[in-house]
Amino acid sequence: MNRRLRISGVLVTIGLLVEGLCLMWSRPIAFVVLVVFGGMLIGIGVLFFLLSLASAAPDSAHASGLAPDKRQ
Amino acid sequence: MPTIATVVLVLFSAILACLIVVRPEITVTRAGKILAFGVLFFLPVFSLAVGVQNEMTRSESTTFCLSCHIMESYGRSLHIDDPSYLAAAHFQNHRVPADEACYTCHSDYAMFGTIKAKLGGLRHLYVYYLGTPPLPQDIKLYKPFNNQVCLHCHLGARSFEEGVVHNADPATLPAIKANKLSCISSGCHEMVHNVGHWGDVKFWYQKNQSVRRSP
Repeated sequence: MNRRLRISGVLVTIGLLVEGLCLMWSRPIAFVVLVVFGGMLIGIGVLFFLLSLASAAPDSAHASGLAPDKRQ
Repeated sequence: MPTIATVVLVLFSAILACLIVVRPEITVTRAGKILAFGVLFFLPVFSLAVGVQNEMTRSESTTFCLSCHIMESYGRSLHIDDPSYLAAAHFQNHRVPADEACYTCHSDYAMFGTIKAKLGGLRHLYVYYLGTPPLPQDIKLYKPFNNQVCLHCHLGARSFEEGVVHNADPATLPAIKANKLSCISSGCHEMVHNVGHWGDVKFWYQKNQSVRRSP
């Protein structure tokens, strides 16, 4: 889980830094870079985080011997 | 949201995301899980949406359009000291917002006008960076200029409705309003940018160079 969070965090961080640079870079190509690269990195990072949540919940429930819905 | 505020939001989000990368164990607690959800889902999505919105707004600015080398001549045409040049007269007299001069006249006011303008902009980018951009004087409109863009402001205005030339022939005004007679057709307001055909023109520059939005 920690590894997945790290990967997600790295992707989101890089995506946000790309976005920040594009916002300060006042050229028409900045919009494309923001959407294509920044958006893609942030999107993959967020998806990775959601997937890690979805895949981690049954594992941790199994480890503790509780069903996910009962834990919550 | 101003660009600087957006940048601060983005950097703040990035710093928090870095915190998760460096110390993922903080997500063990309930508060940590909520923090992780906010930092790795809500804040990035929100920051991206605000950033894209910011860029979309910036893409409507005159400086944005003129930041392409190929548009420099069109930018200069806004400063021609001759009121017969339509674009210059509108820009210099703030008949269009000076900081959105290009966008005001080159986007439709219809429902999808903004989207069409943005898609057109992406096409321009493609040609500019990956294609063979034409010479500035060879740039043409994709389709004839739509009178509705002019009529958005001029329709109902006294100078337009009661203008001597507009009323010299009773068929003229209805033809203009029906988009059958172009406002920029030959013999009317044909001098728009006329890049490449300026000859010996003088240029006017505002004493205070800061471009302000017209009221």
